[in-house]
Amino acid sequence: MMPQQSIYRYIFILTFNGFMLLGSSCAYAQADTVATDTTSDHKVKKPDLAGHQLCIGVDYFHPIINSFLKNQYGYEIAADYYMKNEYYIAVEGGWGGSNVNYSDLQYNTTNSFLRFGFNRTLLVRDRPTDWDKMFIGLSLAGADIKRSPAYYIIEDSLWGNDTSRPVATAKAPPSFPAIWAELSGGVRVELVKGLCAGWTVRGKFMLNGKSFNSLSPLYIAGYGRGDKNTVFDCDMYISYAIRWKRKGLPLPDKTAPGAATKPDIAPGGGKDMKESPGR
Amino acid sequence: MIKDKTYWLAAFVVLWGMWAGCTQQRQLCLTPKVASLVIESMHIISDTGTIFYDTVLPSAEFIPLTSVSSGQDTIVSPQASLFTISLSPKTDTCRWLFRADSTGIIPRDIIFDTLTFYYTRNLQFLSNACGYTYFYTLDTVITSHINIDSLHITNKSVTNDASAKHLQIYIHPDL
Repeated sequence: MMPQQSIYRYIFILTFNGFMLLGSSCAYAQADTVATDTTSDHKVKKPDLAGHQLCIGVDYFHPIINSFLKNQYGYEIAADYYMKNEYYIAVEGGWGGSNVNYSDLQYNTTNSFLRFGFNRTLLVRDRPTDWDKMFIGLSLAGADIKRSPAYYIIEDSLWGNDTSRPVATAKAPPSFPAIWAELSGGVRVELVKGLCAGWTVRGKFMLNGKSFNSLSPLYIAGYGRGDKNTVFDCDMYISYAIRWKRKGLPLPDKTAPGAATKPDIAPGGGKDMKESPGR
Repeated sequence: MIKDKTYWLAAFVVLWGMWAGCTQQRQLCLTPKVASLVIESMHIISDTGTIFYDTVLPSAEFIPLTSVSSGQDTIVSPQASLFTISLSPKTDTCRWLFRADSTGIIPRDIIFDTLTFYYTRNLQFLSNACGYTYFYTLDTVITSHINIDSLHITNKSVTNDASAKHLQIYIHPDL
């Protein structure tokens, strides 16, 4: 009989793959559109007809992962705001902590974190109301880490164990910052009107890792393992988008072909789309 | 179509690896936890007194004094010139007994020399997987002179770097 924990793992992995498949399919549809646009003889600078969008989401990947790990927890909220020319300002924050309770090492840490950066979509939208995106981003993040007194035992079978005592505060200060940079990439897909889902893969690079080498936190919420200077991580978001029109621009014409619904891609793809009346 | 399936299989394997890595309770400790002191035995040629070379001792024996593991802690190294011992993490001094040949062919070799180490302990965080350990800074090493002529500290910093040599023992020229 399969253990319950394994069943959860399978369900989770299937869900994750499902979202990846969904995101990739939508991105694929957009990719054809881009290829079509680049065949035109001359580039015409179009006004940004897309309105404003504020998208607020929560990460459900880490709470699921951490539910299997008893010694760490982390929660994350993300928001991004569409500026123009396919650039988004992204602000993300969260909190978490870890509980180290090994036979030779015991301490707790808590931290909150804030990320600030921007995202740029890689694919041209096929209409102003198309908010599906595949993006890359760059951000800077900081966390304020607080640590409880840490106790250690140095085990030695020859001379005997050095008994437990707190780590001197001067060697491992109880409060310290962590600063890191992130390169990210991901996909967001609108499932139903305003409700989006997607994932972000992140490469994280600690900028001040040496400052807490005397006792690296087991887990920094928003970053990952504190004793690694480079971490790769993944977030999966469910989010809701609030949209309003840009000043001075009319609302998108919902009666226009291809405006209210996604345009169908005929066999042969890009060429047919180029000649469609909605373009 | 085959290509697509391969891609998704690879993605699945990668995700499974990430998952397995994330759910491991404590990482394996892959670095040495105990700082080792490496001793090199040297020989002085008696007629000049200026030429030294490392010498292989036939069956050198090291026994820690005041250790907790009674009887299980004797180090006997057949045919070696480099010997690895450890220092006590509980105090700033420790003592080892040493003889060059535990086989007892030469009667003088049966008698032990005493090596007394004085050092400073430096608390060192290795990782969350390995926890803490002590690195040491050697201050002084004192010895009796039955088999040992003299000592020379070549490296005061005793860490978990297994390639470092810290102490040279000069065996008496007559041996």
